[in-house]
Amino acid sequence: MFSVEWSFQGFVSLPCNADFCNRLARVFSRADLDCNPILSIEMTNPIITHPLRSHASWTFVTLLLSFAPALSFSQARNKPTAPETLKKLTLEQLMDIEVTSVSKRPQHLAEVASAIQVISRKDIIQSGAKTLAEALRLASNLQVAQVNSSQWAISARGFDNVLANKLLVLIDGRTVYTPLYAGVFWDVQNLILEDVDRIEVISGPGGTLWGANAVNGVINIITKSSKETKGLYAEAATGTSLPGLGSVRYGGQLAKNLSYRVYGTGFRMGHTVDSNAVKVNDDWSMLQGGLRLDWEASDKDVVSLQQNFQLQAYYDHTFRDFRNNFTEDLKTFDIEWQQSYEHGHGNQLNYGLNLRMMDHKVTNLLLFQFLPERKKLYLYSLFLQEEVALVPDRLHLTLGSKIEHNSYTGFEFQPNGRLSWTPAKSQTLWMSVSRAVRTPARIDRDFFLLLTPELPFIGGSESVKSETVIAYELGWRSLPREDLSLSLSTFYNTYDHIRSAEPGPEPFFIPITFANGVKGKTYGFELAATYQITPSWNLRGGYTFLKKDLKVKPESRDINAGSAESNDPQNQFVVQSSVEVLKWLELGTLIRYVDRLPKPAVPSYTRLDLRIAFKLGKSFELNVVGQNLLDKQHYEFIPSSPAPRQIERSIYGKLICRL
Amino acid sequence: MQVIMSILSRLIQRLPRTVWNGRYWLTVLFVLSTISGNAQNPSLEYQLKAVFLFNFTQFVDWPAESFPNNKSPLVIGVIGENPFGKYLEQAVSGETKNGHPVVVQYYRDEEAAKFCHMLFINLPESDKRKQVIEKIKEEPVLTVSDASDFSIQGGLVRFVTRKNKIKLQINLEACKELGLVPSSKLLKLADIIEPGKTN
Repeated sequence: MFSVEWSFQGFVSLPCNADFCNRLARVFSRADLDCNPILSIEMTNPIITHPLRSHASWTFVTLLLSFAPALSFSQARNKPTAPETLKKLTLEQLMDIEVTSVSKRPQHLAEVASAIQVISRKDIIQSGAKTLAEALRLASNLQVAQVNSSQWAISARGFDNVLANKLLVLIDGRTVYTPLYAGVFWDVQNLILEDVDRIEVISGPGGTLWGANAVNGVINIITKSSKETKGLYAEAATGTSLPGLGSVRYGGQLAKNLSYRVYGTGFRMGHTVDSNAVKVNDDWSMLQGGLRLDWEASDKDVVSLQQNFQLQAYYDHTFRDFRNNFTEDLKTFDIEWQQSYEHGHGNQLNYGLNLRMMDHKVTNLLLFQFLPERKKLYLYSLFLQEEVALVPDRLHLTLGSKIEHNSYTGFEFQPNGRLSWTPAKSQTLWMSVSRAVRTPARIDRDFFLLLTPELPFIGGSESVKSETVIAYELGWRSLPREDLSLSLSTFYNTYDHIRSAEPGPEPFFIPITFANGVKGKTYGFELAATYQITPSWNLRGGYTFLKKDLKVKPESRDINAGSAESNDPQNQFVVQSSVEVLKWLELGTLIRYVDRLPKPAVPSYTRLDLRIAFKLGKSFELNVVGQNLLDKQHYEFIPSSPAPRQIERSIYGKLICRL
Repeated sequence: MQVIMSILSRLIQRLPRTVWNGRYWLTVLFVLSTISGNAQNPSLEYQLKAVFLFNFTQFVDWPAESFPNNKSPLVIGVIGENPFGKYLEQAVSGETKNGHPVVVQYYRDEEAAKFCHMLFINLPESDKRKQVIEKIKEEPVLTVSDASDFSIQGGLVRFVTRKNKIKLQINLEACKELGLVPSSKLLKLADIIEPGKTN
């Protein structure tokens, strides 16, 4: 039932060299764990430059070693495994292979008891998306709005904002949020989209499995192993909103079990326009290089067996220079252990431990400060979950909780109860009650905006508590036919302790401090469908309805009357059509309707993106992509600052070479 | 449902005209979408199931009289839509069971299916499945399917996907009645079920 959540790659990141790996491999073989460690080293080093008002930054991700043997199998699912390989396995081994985490086959999706949408690599490519954030527009259960050339507001089940903080984002199992405001800097989350395997978007709380910040949803971005990205990939693009983009990736095999890919990518994203449709200087560019090594200890072929334990660890270092002397330096160390234990008939106990240390350091400005400048945030958690087959293959009950300790609020409990009923193979009905928390970020506790060095205007507060949600969900998934899948997820969420900004004492009402003065509820539903009309024509789409009712608590005098944290459309829908018209011609269409945003008001809009791809011989491809074709320009989101920007109609062409 | 429809219709009314003016390209898409596409590779699930079917030929013994002679093939039949592509044929090519070459045949109707040794029934409709089982229930044919009510219907082996893994259920009594002898190794790993009871 929770296969999705367990689909993570396991990573161990260690200061590692070949000798160390060998030693480690020996340790594991001696321990007779029948384990197939995969070492992944990934390093990226993006440099961003915004000409006018922003920043340069670089990220460094390093050394990942994984024990996720089941994974290599699911990743290889597009290419069939040679029958000889499978035939070598014993019956026990055959029965131990996971069919995939969330298979593309809708049968399995039908059994997943949560509001999940999977965006495949194909969907991304056929949408013509230029960046990761644009690719997220394909998920109808996400609120995605472009704020200006580099900034995005992305959330699930509402509370969308430039500083949205209720969504957890993982890239290959690595958390990418900043403890500055518990959100994501979307501009640096850059990938060569060709190498993305899939994006899983889960709306609804995931705190029991993922911990704090998975309040309203989880985005899980999974890239391909370097084993699957061999050869040369090169792309070059230019267009009206994309002055230039070029990427080169090369992947190969260094030794029998050691594969790699190196890549370099760079682009200049075009400007947006202001309210008078006059262009503004927010165009920006990025240069990024990366390396990934995957090493498998075992001689086994792609077939490897699913283990009942996973160990994952990573180290991540991000440095961001905001170009106004404010900088952020973040080092994350994370280690996680998960184990599952099957007992009785179809019952399973899952448990895990997680330790994370975030060493967060800023350089303050005179009037813009986080105090203390450097703070080490410790997080440790225990997670326990029991899955009971009340009626085998029919009725499953899952009960679990995460118990997490963080540096700001101490212990937090995030329990979940989930019942799933599969009356027929093609249908699953599920319901769930869960509690999740958004623990305070540095902005809530440690932030000070000053009028003079002695006079604070806005100040964080020691008394800020965790925001909480109790979510009630009821969902239904069905596969009336092989080529058709339908899902409906409904939710009713009650929130408490949402952030408010309280005025200070009279007469000047400063400093304004943060508190937990807002509560309320949201409810709505998400309807999604995929339909394979013909083998070469795929249609997917979804409709999301969201209603919010937030109130300022009696003891609060929130200066924004409860509206600051969110600005969400009530209705939105997405339809994507991908057709392989001829062997050399593909047509992709993406329509996205977004209802008006209440405050600050943004009118409703409909986006139409079109992509035409011509295959030129075996290795070349020409893409022509038109984005936002229905409007000359429109607003998608108006932030409190900086000034609002409109997104223009645009077109670009891209030449691709795969060798 | 009415609520949803009214919301949807309101939404559609609120769509800008341009979308409807753009209707022509949708039509273009419809017209252009020629039904083509290569035979798709089977999913991992069916790759595994194909290998399971092959394994059954090795772990089940058929009565000698089900083979006309020493060289006659052991036939794996597939009825209904073929989910394996060419994979099953690849898996059994060159394989034998006690000297009988293993071959694959695809059937349209249950009449011909009488003469195979193992039959994978991939018919979504329960009554059609029942019809096939009824037709061959006297023959020593190892019937295999994914269908959840397969055992109740009298089927012999069922693939069950549990925790994303493929497990087996075997109706041992019925196998024995037909003279089919699953090896102890297979039985050890499968759930043995009794006809008429749930599962």
